[in-house]
Amino acid sequence: MPLITYRKALNEAFAEELSRDESVFLMGEEVAEYNGAYKVTEGLWERFGSKRVIDTPISEAAFLGLGVGAAMMGLRPVVELMFWSFAYVGFDQIINNAGCVRYMSGGLINVPMVIRGPANGGTSVGATHSHTPENLIANTPGLKVVCPATPYDAKGLMIASIRDNDTVCFMENTLLYGTTGEVPEGSYTIPLGVADCKREGTDISFITYGRAVLTALEAAVILQAEHGISAEVIDLRSIRPLDEEAILNSVAKTHRVVLIDENKPFCGISSQIAATIAEKAFDELDAPILRVTALDAPAIYSMPLEKLQLPTPERIVNKALTLF
Amino acid sequence: MTSITYLEAIRAAQARALEEDSRVFIYGQDVGSFGGAFKATKNLAKEFPGRVMDSPISEDAMIGMAIGAAIEGMRPIIEMQFADFSTCGLNQIVNHAATLFYRTEVPCPLVVRLPCGGTSGGGPFHSQSLEAIYAHFPGLVVMTPGTVEDAYTMLLEAINIDDPVIFCEHKFLYYHLKAEALPTMALPSNKARVTRPGRDATVVTYSAMLHESLAAAAELAHDGYEIEVVDLRSVKPLDTDTILASVARTGRLLVVSEAFPWGGVTAEVIARVTAEGFGLLDAPPQRLNARDTPVPYHPALWGTHRPTASTIASALHRLLKL
Repeated sequence: MPLITYRKALNEAFAEELSRDESVFLMGEEVAEYNGAYKVTEGLWERFGSKRVIDTPISEAAFLGLGVGAAMMGLRPVVELMFWSFAYVGFDQIINNAGCVRYMSGGLINVPMVIRGPANGGTSVGATHSHTPENLIANTPGLKVVCPATPYDAKGLMIASIRDNDTVCFMENTLLYGTTGEVPEGSYTIPLGVADCKREGTDISFITYGRAVLTALEAAVILQAEHGISAEVIDLRSIRPLDEEAILNSVAKTHRVVLIDENKPFCGISSQIAATIAEKAFDELDAPILRVTALDAPAIYSMPLEKLQLPTPERIVNKALTLF
Repeated sequence: MTSITYLEAIRAAQARALEEDSRVFIYGQDVGSFGGAFKATKNLAKEFPGRVMDSPISEDAMIGMAIGAAIEGMRPIIEMQFADFSTCGLNQIVNHAATLFYRTEVPCPLVVRLPCGGTSGGGPFHSQSLEAIYAHFPGLVVMTPGTVEDAYTMLLEAINIDDPVIFCEHKFLYYHLKAEALPTMALPSNKARVTRPGRDATVVTYSAMLHESLAAAAELAHDGYEIEVVDLRSVKPLDTDTILASVARTGRLLVVSEAFPWGGVTAEVIARVTAEGFGLLDAPPQRLNARDTPVPYHPALWGTHRPTASTIASALHRLLKL
């Protein structure tokens, strides 16, 4: 299989779907002539033209609203946010319109839209450009949320998201765009709501997603090498729908769990998962459910400090050791 | 005997703040001569000329203007007509107000009043409880008063503190909840309150669900169960100590909220208890939230969408058997 970047994997997903289905189009700030702020849409405007790859004005509220309308009329817009942090300018369109239309129309009108872009800290872009809103979107009934960690997952999940009949909020990571992995040529899908076990283990479960999967895998290697502890790493891949079965099965196997994510902790993804495990697998637990998340402060601008704000392998290892 | 409603208490707190502090002003859609969508600012424009101002219909602009005023030393109170509409100004609240002090050491003493929660026939855009969304952001204080007395004293405290405060008022309580008089004493807003003591199970809740939970606890008392009811009052900061102390007494926990379940305040409470108080639990902690769909418009559907005294009582009976 070809070894390509996460960025290229997404680009291939768009090219596949633009070729396959003429109702698919891309839009966003600078996605066409400039090839996207992070070059994820490189070459697509040249190949598919101005009717399929469209530059928008700098108004997230306007072009998210445009996406909702286009989707209601049967098109399949793929809308790029330069940063997910900017989604807050158009948040009303996402949660009140995209999230509610199918329900309000009694199931008669779908909103098959993908809203995508980077949602991550760790690049020293400060408090206003480093948000991870996956929990805020997942909080809203009617919306789906996907956060892939690898190039293979990114391509398969993106194609599945474009074909999904609901609005899917697809959260990428600027620190992952350049990472590489084996990705099949052509089209394939990964179903939403199916987690993937990235490392099998027997002593403790790490439940995680996005870039934190890579951090958790590093921590698992350290735990095995230095402490003889075998950690299982479950990559959720989709946040909503959430693969509860995979989470509960892993907890039933290891009886210890640490939840790891780069989201802020308060009412975050890990709170939801902790509450789910506590409610549905309480008797399987041999120890408290612990969380390793971003530290609960606005994203820190200083690069050395921000590195410590996000989960590190050391922080995960130390937290895991308290459970033994 | 005269009585005062939850809504009148909110009006009275604003009147007192305007009276006592010349830096306070109110800005919102129709808050002036119309007296506000729910009449929370009735007659205040007349009593305090020039300090209760109508805004254009742009939540984004309203919040942005208020942040600027707060930076310059004023203490703005922003009224949203409905909490749901604050999503049009979300960027100003979470990116600017929430992070300003952290980025610059300039305080942002701003209160955003959000009429929250459902009323029959309100539908999906006029019924949401968004406290979990705001509580997620470091830098914001989120208050959720469930009594007339707390609505009054906590709003005064919200206006006085130097951080931006999201003040979640419950629309159903506006007219339905009454007290004999305004309080003279205040419990600090960051403290939860044990509203009803008990020993068999703990219900942690806030806002309008306090009253449904108290009714459920009264029902279970007929069967001989003593249910402790903890009113969080503020969801952020979250008074984990009071929650853990209650769970230590009862060993069983049910958390009740009218908001959506996914990553809600109920999830945060349980995540904290299972991390910090795992050994205190005798049974799996349970949650009861609104159902995980948009808020239905039809009154009959709405009635089954949010927790009620009856569904809370059933959940407690299940919990007591676990």
